Amino acid sequence: MSVGFRTAAAAALVAAGWFAAAAPAAAHHSAAAAYDETKHVEAQGTVARVLVRNPHSWVFLESTDDKGQKIEWQIEMGGAPSMAWAKDGLPIGAVVKVAGHPSRAPGTHGITGATFAKADGTPIGPRAGRGETPQP
Amino acid sequence: MSIWLESTAIGVWTRESPSIWAYPTVLTLHTIGLGVLVGANAIIDLRLLGFAPRLPLPSLAPLYRFMWVGFAINAITGALLFAANATTKSTQPVFYVKLALIAGALVITGAIRRAVASDRSSSQQPARPAVLSARRLAIVSLALWTGAIAEGRLMAYL
Repeated sequence: MSVGFRTAAAAALVAAGWFAAAAPAAAHHSAAAAYDETKHVEAQGTVARVLVRNPHSWVFLESTDDKGQKIEWQIEMGGAPSMAWAKDGLPIGAVVKVAGHPSRAPGTHGITGATFAKADGTPIGPRAGRGETPQP
Repeated sequence: MSIWLESTAIGVWTRESPSIWAYPTVLTLHTIGLGVLVGANAIIDLRLLGFAPRLPLPSLAPLYRFMWVGFAINAITGALLFAANATTKSTQPVFYVKLALIAGALVITGAIRRAVASDRSSSQQPARPAVLSARRLAIVSLALWTGAIAEGRLMAYL
C-alpha cells in the first residue's frame, strides 16, 4: 500500500467525519432537560427581537395570555448557521404563529423545536412542512 | 471585562457569524485538540498502569509533542469560545471547576513526564517505589482529564 493511497484514505475519512459532524450542528445536545418534548404548544405573537447567535439563537414574540396579560414567548433555536432564513422570514413587527415544545419551567413561556408560520398559516423557514407546523 | 470580551471583533465573529467556519469549526477544533491532548496522555497513563508492557516508556516521549499541539489548539479555540459568550461562561461554576481540573492535570502531566524521562524499566530492574508512584500519577491523570472533559460538557447544560 503506497503512502499516497493511505494519505488519500485518511483525508477521505476526515472529510466524511467533517460533514457528518457539521450536518446536525443544531442538534448537538438534547433539549429534553429544559423542554417537555412530549408536549405541544402553539402561540401567535409579534416578532420583537431575533438574536442570531451561537451556540443557540433566540426569537422573542410579544403576545398576550388568556387573561390579557402581556407576555413574551422566548423561543430557543439552533446556532447562527441554521438561521439564515430568519432575516427575511421573521422581520421585526411581523405577526407570526409558532408551534413547538414548551419549557418545563413553570410560569415561563419558553419554546424549542419551533416551526413558524405567517398569520395566514403559510409556513416560514427551512423546517416548514416538517414536524408540527402551526395551524392557521 | 466579560462584556468587553464579548464585544471584541473575534468574540462577535465566533458568536454571531452564520458561517460554518466560525463557531462550528472552532468547536470542532476544540474537540480535536481535546482528543489529541487527552488521547496522548491516556496512552502514557495506560502504559504506566501496565497496558502494552513491551512498549519501552522512553519510546513514548514524542507523544509530548502531540500534547503540546493539542493544548495549543485548545487554548486558542477555548479562548475564542470564551470570548463568544464570556458573560455566561464567567458565571458558571463548572467553568472554573474545569479550569482547575485542567491546571491540576497539567501539573500531573509534568510530573509523569519527568517519570517517563527518568524511567529505567528498559534495564529490567525498575525501581519499585518510582513505578508505584508513577501508577498513582497515571490514575490521577486519567481522573483529572476525564473530569475536565465532563465539566466542559456540563457547561452546555448547567
